[in-house]
Amino acid sequence: MEQLNFSKVVIIMFKQGLSVMYREITYMWRDRGLRNLLLIGPLLGLFLFYATYSAQAIKDIPTAIVCLDRSDTARQLVEDMKNAEYLKVIAYPPNFQDLEELIKNGRVVVGIVIPEDLGQKVALHRQATVLVAVDGSNMIYATNAASAVMTVTHTISARAGINALVSNGINFSQAQEAYQGINIREEPWFNPTLNYAYFLVLALTLNIWQQCCTLVASMNVIGETGRRSWYQIKASGISVFKLFFSKSIVQVTMFMLLVLPIYIISYIFLHIPMHCNFGLLLLFTLAFTLALHSIGTLASSLSHSAIDSIRLGMLIALPSFILSGYTWPMESMPHYLQQAVKILPQTWFFQGINYLTFKNPGPAFIGHYFLILSLTAVTCYGVAAIVTLRK
Amino acid sequence: MRQVLNITYYETIHILRNRLLLGQIFFVPFLYTLLLGTVYIAGVLNNIPLGVVDLDNSQLSREVVTAFANSPYFKLNKQINTYHGLEQAMRDGTVRAGIVIPEDYAQKVSLHQNTKVLMVYDSSNLIWGYNTRKYAREVINSFNIDHTAAYLAGLGLTQEEVHNNMDTISLNMEVWYNPTYSYATFILLGIILMILHQIGLQSVGLTVTREKEQNSWLQFLSSSVPPWKIFLGKCLPYYTGGFFNYALLLWLASDLIHVKISGSLLLLILLGVIYILVINAAGFYISVKAANSLQVTRYIMLLSVPMFIISGYTWPSRYIPPYINKLAHLLPFTWMSEGFRLATLKGLGFHYLVSHILALTAMSVAALLPAMTFDKHRKFPG
Repeated sequence: MEQLNFSKVVIIMFKQGLSVMYREITYMWRDRGLRNLLLIGPLLGLFLFYATYSAQAIKDIPTAIVCLDRSDTARQLVEDMKNAEYLKVIAYPPNFQDLEELIKNGRVVVGIVIPEDLGQKVALHRQATVLVAVDGSNMIYATNAASAVMTVTHTISARAGINALVSNGINFSQAQEAYQGINIREEPWFNPTLNYAYFLVLALTLNIWQQCCTLVASMNVIGETGRRSWYQIKASGISVFKLFFSKSIVQVTMFMLLVLPIYIISYIFLHIPMHCNFGLLLLFTLAFTLALHSIGTLASSLSHSAIDSIRLGMLIALPSFILSGYTWPMESMPHYLQQAVKILPQTWFFQGINYLTFKNPGPAFIGHYFLILSLTAVTCYGVAAIVTLRK
Repeated sequence: MRQVLNITYYETIHILRNRLLLGQIFFVPFLYTLLLGTVYIAGVLNNIPLGVVDLDNSQLSREVVTAFANSPYFKLNKQINTYHGLEQAMRDGTVRAGIVIPEDYAQKVSLHQNTKVLMVYDSSNLIWGYNTRKYAREVINSFNIDHTAAYLAGLGLTQEEVHNNMDTISLNMEVWYNPTYSYATFILLGIILMILHQIGLQSVGLTVTREKEQNSWLQFLSSSVPPWKIFLGKCLPYYTGGFFNYALLLWLASDLIHVKISGSLLLLILLGVIYILVINAAGFYISVKAANSLQVTRYIMLLSVPMFIISGYTWPSRYIPPYINKLAHLLPFTWMSEGFRLATLKGLGFHYLVSHILALTAMSVAALLPAMTFDKHRKFPG
């Protein structure tokens, strides 16, 4: 008899849970603004970001050459610059002022000025200086342009130096040896084509996705307690735990369903690299989703209105991508900030995504990330439960 | 005028009484700038953790290692001494770059045989990747210069002769506008403009929806106060707050985070005046049209990242497809961020910013017109 009663209670509880879940799905679907935002927002972001970074890498940096000399040496120098990796000569302004204007207007990024007496000076073994100006106002351009210029610089200086030594009577092989130096072979690991789309598109889209998730999670508690129907729910006898547990299951499942097309499109259609197991990636995303949802739930339990709760949730979600160290490395932030940003689950998520997609450092390494995200979820859900039970 | 001031007074009282709104207008922009400014305060990457695998252990290989060790850009991790160890350390992020010197390196160099030092760097983060590549090339160039100078001195050339020979053609590279390659100077001003954009739009965007939710918007609609006065009265406190923030955040960036801000002060004021005007007018119109505060908050908050990315502020617009560029040029942030960079970083005058100022002015007119002439008639059901 007792066992029969127990099974009845379990069935009733299960049915209540299902009813709450059904109610939550209905509420979310009926909220047209939220529905559109969740279904379209992240995918639109993915399209926008991929289109923006479709060039994938910085090549053909616009370059202008002011050649004031008509000697062979000058012509050779122009040829060297034209053949330089990543530089594309697009203009030959007649003087320095015009070149300056081109750089000011942003039409060229690298400007080269070959002086009028270059050939003469080289023939007389006198020093000649060629000016290479790089527009440093955009760092993406500037670092690439500077690297490209440095490679050419070495080749040109070495050739001129060898010629000068030979004309001074020094043996050619000795002259060559003097300028031999060390040769390096560069190998960029994990993203060998230095592809910006691979680096940023998925991460930026996941950033939009986590902001959308925060919007929903921030409504979890206040969406019920802030309404008059809250008294009805309380009077109905359904436990607060069961209510929010069932709601949370629906929300977390929905977050995971929203991230699936992002991953599928990114990896299958956009060919963004993924070096880890897809199951592990999903499991890691689930751990983050729980942590993120727990923070949203906590914010919603502390707030007095839905707007305040969203503000509080987004206050954290908006700058979290920059703070996570995904772009500007965490190691270059001040020590105290490095420690502070580790409180945010977004930091662990974006760092983890970078490791998983590019490097796959193994389960032992990523296990630490799982642990931190789980601890965040347990703590925030716990505090949110205590606060909510008092309402 | 009195009507406008009355509405302004009423709105100001509301802002002062609502602690969250007050915080959003005056505290959050400051907090965000301080926080994100601190992220970029170092400006440049230094002490990049470097693993060295010296399989040659000759005098020449040790010199190469010393060149990297003495560079402020790199920090040697002495625990790594095998290729496998380097691979593992690169994978788990212990080091971000590595050099591998083959075992017969010095011998091959002396015999003029083809041999190379392997330089690897972590490009899973392209800020690491591009900077490490640039730094490595600088170190190698500098090492080669020293090597050549020593070799020539060994041939009996005087110091002057060595100098003359090596500078036969000297390529003097000058980096204009941001000579220290500071990331803070590069990116922080764009972030500040985005903060002002988002906070401004969000704050003004709630001014009418709040009234609608409190059923007090009806009072405005049924009063004889014309729409333009309602707009002016309601927006004035936000405009003042927005401009105050503009000045404060620029001061913070310049004085505390040492971001380079040069150029004409008048031009900066003009840009700020128009930019904040566009934001306020657009925010007010959105608020008039929006059904509720929740809708405004949800949509506006998600705009920041896409707007920033497609604007061309970081990834150059030359590499962005034309249809995205066209979309970006419909947004005030794109014009403001580009114009602001030209004025502050490049120090350019009005002449260079005419198109930016005209575009922002056109946008402010386009936003002001509907905001100041909104329909006060209520639509009754049926």
